[in-house]
Amino acid sequence: MLQQIIAIIIIVFFVFRLVAQKKKKIISNNEFSLWLAFWLVAAAAIIFIKQIDRLVAWLGFSGTGINFLIYIAVLALFYLVFRLQLNLAKMDRNITEIIRQITLKK
Amino acid sequence: MKITCVIPAYNEAKNISLVVSGVRPFVDEVVVIDDCSSDDTSELAKQAGAIVFRHPLNRGQGAALQTGNDYALEHQADIIVHFDADGQFLPEEIKDMVAPILEGRADIVFGSRFLGKKSNLPAFKKYLIMPLAQAFTRVILGIKLSDPQNGFRAMSRTAADRIRINNREMAHNSEIQIKSFQEKLRITEVPITVVYHHFGQKLSGGFQVVKDLLIHRIIK
Repeated sequence: MLQQIIAIIIIVFFVFRLVAQKKKKIISNNEFSLWLAFWLVAAAAIIFIKQIDRLVAWLGFSGTGINFLIYIAVLALFYLVFRLQLNLAKMDRNITEIIRQITLKK
Repeated sequence: MKITCVIPAYNEAKNISLVVSGVRPFVDEVVVIDDCSSDDTSELAKQAGAIVFRHPLNRGQGAALQTGNDYALEHQADIIVHFDADGQFLPEEIKDMVAPILEGRADIVFGSRFLGKKSNLPAFKKYLIMPLAQAFTRVILGIKLSDPQNGFRAMSRTAADRIRINNREMAHNSEIQIKSFQEKLRITEVPITVVYHHFGQKLSGGFQVVKDLLIHRIIK
């Protein structure tokens, strides 16, 4: 129970920080929505950890709900790294195009 | 028919003069794209009679080739020849490479080390890297060409217009072959000789090529 309360306090801190960043226009609407959704899902997962435990058992996994959340987090991280790599490749391609324009216009 | 030879070069001061002067009798124009060399590649290429452009940042061989293609297309080239700056190709074979295009039999011509002429290919490359690359391009990419990684090629204006090289590093070889098939160009292979002065692309480079091809296929 204590761990759950600490986790929720940390999430509330990050949500406040997010709102402040939105007010100062440091982040866009889309970024704000994405991160807010992320923290709300994280909070829900912590609040309903017992129900997740039951769901995990019902799905046939031997671990507890928290293990299941860690697996999901690792998968999400893999996906984010992949997206990051694609974005870098796009940026890299744009840099090459700019270099080409500069080279031929000189 | 205007033939333009595009030579991408990076720190090739040792070879570039000989390569440019060797190629000049066989083409109308030689364009060297200096990929931000730290030596005298640009100056020596100019002295040897090439038109020289210099990338302000090192971008890789594929990027330099596309810069050369853009220049050649803008300046009404009918045939573009890609030629390496390290002196591993024979300039006199340019006429064999452009012949199928001049005769109207092909839109793009790929040089091949495996069609009869002898190249001093290192054994590791010949018996391990090349069979792996050939299997990959045939089975996974569906390309039926004898030489999957050869930088000596000639293309018509139409082909250069339809193939945009997006892979800035070594994956451009496979990319050009893939796009030639996708664009349904008339493709021919011509036997060429390669004189190896150094090992060239290693096995790890092959994995990088696969990764680059995959990423560029996704981002298009």
